[in-house]
This record gives sequence, C-alpha cells and structure tokens, in this order.
Amino acid sequence: MMGPNIVWYLCVSAFLFTTGAAGVLIRRSPLIILLSLEIMLNGANLALIAFSRYHGTGDGQIFALTVMAVAAAEVVVGLGLIVAMARRRLELDVDKLRTLRG
Amino acid sequence: MSAAAWICLLAPLGAALAITLAGQRLSRRGAGYLATASVGASFVAAVVVFVLLLGDSPNNREHPSVAWHWLTAGSYTFNLGILVDPLSTYMMLIVAGVGFLIVAYSIGYMDGDDEERRYFAYMALFVFSMLLLVQAGNLLILLAGWGMVGLSSYLLIGFWHERPEAVAAAKKAFVMNAFGDAAMALGLFLLVQQTGSLDFGVVFPAAGGLSPTVANLVALGLLGGAVAKSAQLPLQTWLPDAMEGPTPVSALIHAATMVTAGVYLIVRTNAIFEAAPTVQEVAAGLGAATLLMAGLIALVQTDIKRVIAYSTMSQIGYMFLAAGIGAYADGMFHLLTHAFFKALLFLAAGIVIHALSGEQDLRKMGGLRHKLPRTYWSFIVGGLALAGIPVFSGFFSKDPILSSALAQGWYGEILWVVGMVGCFLTGLYTFRMIFLAFWGEEKDGDLHAPEKDVPGISMGVTVAILTVLAAIAGFLQVFELWTPVSNWLDPVAPPLVVPTSTQEVVSSLVAVTLGLGGIGVAWWIYGARRAEAPEPSKLLEHKFYFDELYDAIFYRPAVLLAHGLLRFVERPLVFGSLRELTQGVRELGTGVRNLQTGLVRTYAFAIAASLAVVTLVFVVVR
Amino acid sequence: MDVGNVLVWIVWILAAFACLGSGIAVISFSNPFYSALSLIANLASLAVLYLLLSAEFVAAAQVLVYAGAVMVMFLFVIAYLGGRADTPWAGGPSWQALAAVAAAGAIFVEVIVVIGLKTGGRLTHAPTTDYFSGSPYDIGQLFLTDHLLAFEITSIVLLVAAVGGVILGSHARELPGAEG
Repeated sequence: MMGPNIVWYLCVSAFLFTTGAAGVLIRRSPLIILLSLEIMLNGANLALIAFSRYHGTGDGQIFALTVMAVAAAEVVVGLGLIVAMARRRLELDVDKLRTLRG
Repeated sequence: MSAAAWICLLAPLGAALAITLAGQRLSRRGAGYLATASVGASFVAAVVVFVLLLGDSPNNREHPSVAWHWLTAGSYTFNLGILVDPLSTYMMLIVAGVGFLIVAYSIGYMDGDDEERRYFAYMALFVFSMLLLVQAGNLLILLAGWGMVGLSSYLLIGFWHERPEAVAAAKKAFVMNAFGDAAMALGLFLLVQQTGSLDFGVVFPAAGGLSPTVANLVALGLLGGAVAKSAQLPLQTWLPDAMEGPTPVSALIHAATMVTAGVYLIVRTNAIFEAAPTVQEVAAGLGAATLLMAGLIALVQTDIKRVIAYSTMSQIGYMFLAAGIGAYADGMFHLLTHAFFKALLFLAAGIVIHALSGEQDLRKMGGLRHKLPRTYWSFIVGGLALAGIPVFSGFFSKDPILSSALAQGWYGEILWVVGMVGCFLTGLYTFRMIFLAFWGEEKDGDLHAPEKDVPGISMGVTVAILTVLAAIAGFLQVFELWTPVSNWLDPVAPPLVVPTSTQEVVSSLVAVTLGLGGIGVAWWIYGARRAEAPEPSKLLEHKFYFDELYDAIFYRPAVLLAHGLLRFVERPLVFGSLRELTQGVRELGTGVRNLQTGLVRTYAFAIAASLAVVTLVFVVVR
Repeated sequence: MDVGNVLVWIVWILAAFACLGSGIAVISFSNPFYSALSLIANLASLAVLYLLLSAEFVAAAQVLVYAGAVMVMFLFVIAYLGGRADTPWAGGPSWQALAAVAAAGAIFVEVIVVIGLKTGGRLTHAPTTDYFSGSPYDIGQLFLTDHLLAFEITSIVLLVAAVGGVILGSHARELPGAEG
C-alpha cells in the first residue's frame, strides 16, 4: 500500500487517545472535559479504520460509524447536563461538585 | 407393672408441665388440686407396682424397663431406663405417699400466695425428679434425677425471691450440692471407665472385681455426692439456711425425701461400698459425727424450724451410720419412720407459724397448748417418735441401728456410744422446743386470728394422718420378731451384720432410758421452770463456726480471684481487645472513606492509572 | 519511490501533525471557544487521514456529523454559557496534573510497546490486496445485511439521547435543594 503502514496510524491513534485522557484528567471545566472525551473517541475511531483497511473488510468502518453516532448521543446528553447545571446556578467546575463525597 | 411404674414417674411431670403451660388459665386452687392429684396418682401407681411385685417370688423381683437408647458413645451405651425392684418400690411409696400428703397440705398453707401456681409446678417437678432418682435403672439416670432434685430444691428454697435471705440460701444450697455432684460425677467417670457401663445390673456384680484403689475412689466420689445431698459433715451448712423456703418445702424436700437421697444412694450402691470398706466406715463415722454435732447445735436454736432442721441432720446421721455399718434395712426403715414423724413435725410447725402470722422465734411463743390443742398433741406424738420412745415409730427404727452398731467390733462400739449420746440430746432438744412453744404463759397478742387455730381441711387432715402414721408405723418391723421390711429389702441390700438378742435388749434399754432422761431434763428446765437454762456457748451458737470457715476458705478467695480477673484480665484483655477491634474497624472505615472524594477527576484518574498498571502487568507477564 | 507515494506521505505527515497539534491545543487553551475550534481542526485532519485509508463515507460522515453538527452544538452551548474560562495552568501545575500527565504518558508508551513487541512484526508487511472500498454503496450493504442489528440499535440509542436531551433541557421542575 502506499504511504505509511498501519503502525504509524496506530501511533497517531494512541497519541490522540492519551491526549484526550490527559485532558479529561487535567481540566476542570466540564465543557473541556467533554471535548477531550471527543478526542479520545476519535482516536479510537482512527485505530478502527486503520485495522479495517489492514484486514480489507468493512467491519471496522461500520463500527466507527456506530461509535460516531454514540458519541453524538453522548454529547447531547452531556451538553444538556451542563446547560441544566448552568441554569441552576451551579458552578461549572468539577472540583466544586462534591455532593457524592463519602 | 412397668406401665404402672412409668405412670408413677411421669404423672407429676405431666402436672408440672400442665401447670406451667396453662399459666393464668388455671386458677391457683386448680393448680394445687392438679399437683395433688398427680402425686396421688403416682402413689396409687406405686401401690399397684408394689402389689404386683409382691406376687413375684422374692428372688425374682428385679424388673428393668428401658424407654429408649439415650446415647451411644464408642462402646458405651446409656439407656433411659427405670428399675422396678424392692428398694425402688419402697422409695416410690415413701416419696409418692408422703409427697401426696405434703402437697395436699400446701393447698391450705400456700392459699392466698400470689405465686401459688409456680409453687405447685415446682413441687410436682420435684416429686418427678425424686421419683426419677429412686426409679433409675442406671447411675446416669440417677445422676440426672440427682441434679434435678437439686434444681427443684434451689427453686423452692428461693421461692419467695424478693427476700434476699431466701435467694442467698438457695444459692448456697445449690453450690454445695454442685460440689457433691461433681464428686459423684468423677466417681462415675472412673466407674464407667473401669466397668464399661453404668447399669446396675452390670456395675454391681462387677464391683467386687475392682481394684481397691479404684473402688475406694469411686465410693469416695459417691460418698461426696451423698454427703452434700444429705447435709452431712462437712457439707451440712446449707440445710439450716434452706429453712427460708415455705414450710411444706422444708417438710418434703429437706426432711422426708431429698435429703434422704444420700442414704438411698449408699444403700443402692452397697456393692461398691462393700468393695471399699474403708470408705464405708468413713461414711458411718461421718454420720455419727454429724448426729452429735447437729444435736448439740439444736439445743441453742431459737427458730422452731431450725430446731427441726438440725434434728433432720441428726437423724440422717443415724441413717448414714446404719448404711456405713451395713445395716441397710434398718437404715431404710428409719428413713420411712423419719419421713413420717419429721414431716409431721414440720407441718405441725407450719400450723403454729400460720397461727402466729409468721412468727417462728421460740422465745416469742408460749402457752399454745390451750390455743392449738390438736396441734399440740401432734407435736407430742412426733416428738416422742423422734426421741425413740416406745411405742412410737422412732423406737422401732432407731434402736436396731444402734444395736447393729454394737455388733460391729470396737469401731461400732464407739459409734454406739455416740449414738446413745445422740438419743439423750434428741429427747432434750425436741422437748425443749415443745415446752417452749406450748407450755408456759402466752406471750402477748401474737395470735393472728382465732379462726387460724383450727387449721383448714387440707392442713388439718394431712397432719392428722401423719400423726397416726408416726404413731403406728413402727409396727411395720419389730426388731427380729417380725421383719417384713428386712425381708423385702434383702435381695437388694442384705445386711452385713445381725445383732444378737442380748445386744438388742441392752441397746434399746439404754437408748430409751437416755431418751426419757433427755425429756426429763427438758421438762425440768423448760417445762416446769425449776431451773435456769445454762448460757449457750459461743461454739454452739455459731454452729461450730463452719460457716465462717467456709467463708474464709472458699468464698473470700473466690471473690478476690473474681475481682482480680476483672481488673487484670477482663478489662484490659477482653474489653480492651474488643474496643481495639471496633476502633480499628472504625478507623479503617474512615480511611477508606477518604477514597470517596466525590470528585470526578479523582475517579477518572484512578481509572487511567489502573489502566496503565494493568497494561504494564499484561505486557510484562505475557 | 514514485511520486504517488511521496505525495501520500506528505499529505499524511501534514494531516498527522495537524491532528496531534490540534489535540494538544484543545486541552491547553483556557478559552473554551478556542478549544472548540481546535477540535474542529482535529476532526478535519482526521477526515483526511480517513480518506488516505480509503474510508470515504466515514470521512464524509465525520465532516458532516461531527464537525458539522456536534461541534456546532458545542459552539452554541459555549456561546450560551458565556465561555467562562478556567485556568488550568495557573499557579503552576498541581501534583494532580503532573500525575495525570504521567499516567497518560505511561499509557501511551505502553501502547507503543505493545504494538512494537507483541504484534511480532505482523503489522509491518503489506495489507491484503482485496480491500474494501469504503464507498457508500459498500457501507450501506454491510449495514443492511451483516450488521443490521448494530444499525437498528444505533437508531434506538439516538432516540434515547434525543429524549434525554429534551428532558434535560425542559424548564418543568425546579428540584429542591438544587443549589450546589
């Protein structure tokens, strides 16, 4: 095949995943956390597509499309939550939301 | 016949259970009638057994009856079995007969008490336990009955449990009996190890084959149990305190039946004692010492019931003496007559106490023979029987014991002398009590109410019956002239010694003379008031300091030990470890709680870190 | 080395670096607006990579759905919320941030190691020649035959999400004790 072989794509995918993970762990605003989650999902998508290309079947692409749909659904709910929080005057800082503290 | 025996045994148990389960649904009087009827049924059944047993030839009178296999351990099996034989039937008649009279008496005596039902349930339980003891076919069931009579005694002594003295007395009785029970159990352990069984049919024939050491130890254990149960030296201090219980209880348990269980045990296991003659002699010696000591203490008692209690202790000393020298039938006959006249004395004393609304102090009594004439005459009959004056029952039963002692060589002669002194003392303290209570001037206004002078049907009739029995029961066995009792008991417990006619006559003459002498002295001092009673010595007043001795040896060290253990073991170790444990758990919980920060980021971090670690492990290991 | 290959390589390098850079940018900007825009750039570069992997339909869907719909939704919400900025790097990196970066880095390294060691060189040789074309026709065929269940379930998931979104967005109840 032309271009870099699959291992390069996998490296990019890994990097995206860990970047997203770091973002989830570091940032305090729920909005940014959601964005980082999106990055992670996309990283996974890339790995799926790469392997689909490697094996020559379409299953990976189907899976990636499903992931995309689920990610969209998740964003809907997450943003709904954030809007509800903002409407109730809760501070948008996950460090301040500690009601479940044991 | 076995059916009748089982009915005799179980009827009182049925009544006890019925009274317990019926609770308030049964009236108080009803409980009394039920208990009395059940013991009456027992007596009838016992008579049936007796009559049927008479039909058998004398050598064929052993009929064991097994209900079921109780427990099997290795090669040992123990059954729930009873034995119908002359000795057990004899005791069944006494226990059920006298028990019936006393429980009937209780209907009148305990009338009006709030807890009458509990009383009658306990009494029925006691009769059942005592019957179990005497009907037992093996030593294990006997031990079970033994323990249960101890329990019933505890329950009944402490019947009026609001009184701390009663509770203390009940505990004292139970603990001392537990001591004896332990000794007996140890003896039984040894016995079962040596002979492989506890059935009478196996153990007694095998007793002759035991080594002297083993026989001595087993007999010693049995003697320990008998001494505790019969309140002989050195375990006698519980009996006077047991007078805290209601008077019918004192009559039934601490005069007629339970305290005689020790005598029964020795007579029943005579094969073992005869294999350990030293221990048997020790038993006789203990009996003699007890009868002397108790007679002396009775001289200075001021409570009417305690005088009778010490006289019980003394008379059982006679029975132990008899069993110790091998005059088993004489001892058992004395058990019978003693049951009658001692129960009579207690129940008559109960009438006196009732009439004086609870007063038991002899110094506060006087001149009652005019107010309670019939009770007075009952006391006279009982007292004469107790002192062994012909023609009353005690004469016929006590004298053969003494004459048998005379026939036993130099040791027996010493015992005879002690027994004679006892006769003098018996006459003296008995009639001291009677003269103090019934003669002299009446002390002011103690009488409860004139209607109590005439006891009700239950109390009056039963005392009258006992009076008659105490008077004539002696004729059941007239020395060597007519010996149905000895003949009856011969297959089970043949006597070791038979006195000659000379010894009998001499012994009886001296005994009667001394008895009359005691009565005379009592009349001189207390009846006719011709002389002043001497000051009672401190030794006698403190009952030879036995209570103080036991207090110092057993009670105080135990209390000290308990306090010490509490301070040094219980608090730091047990409480401390528990407290440490709970604190540790709590701290652990608090520590774990810190993991629940409630922060999303922490949880996410935990997930990421775990992922990293797991992947690492995965990579390295695989 | 023919020109086609070189071109592919160049495109790949550009797209890959754009991807990585915008990813880092997303998590670094304090202004959420800029983060969102960086994510759009990330999605676009990913679409290019998908095209290089012959997944045309997926690339198109990525741009249309993700960058077109989802990100627009994000931007709406950011605009509604006023784009409050939080300052992750203020006061120096906290121990938590360092630990997080370390964990993420560890995962990254491990994945690389796994790929390198464990796949045993199987990934380095050329892929199979009969490759899937990735056209809408082929995707559609797969969706409606082999993976029909996934297709249907996805629709249900989307329905549920829609319902949830409506509920979350409704004004209906003020829950007691909502102040936080």
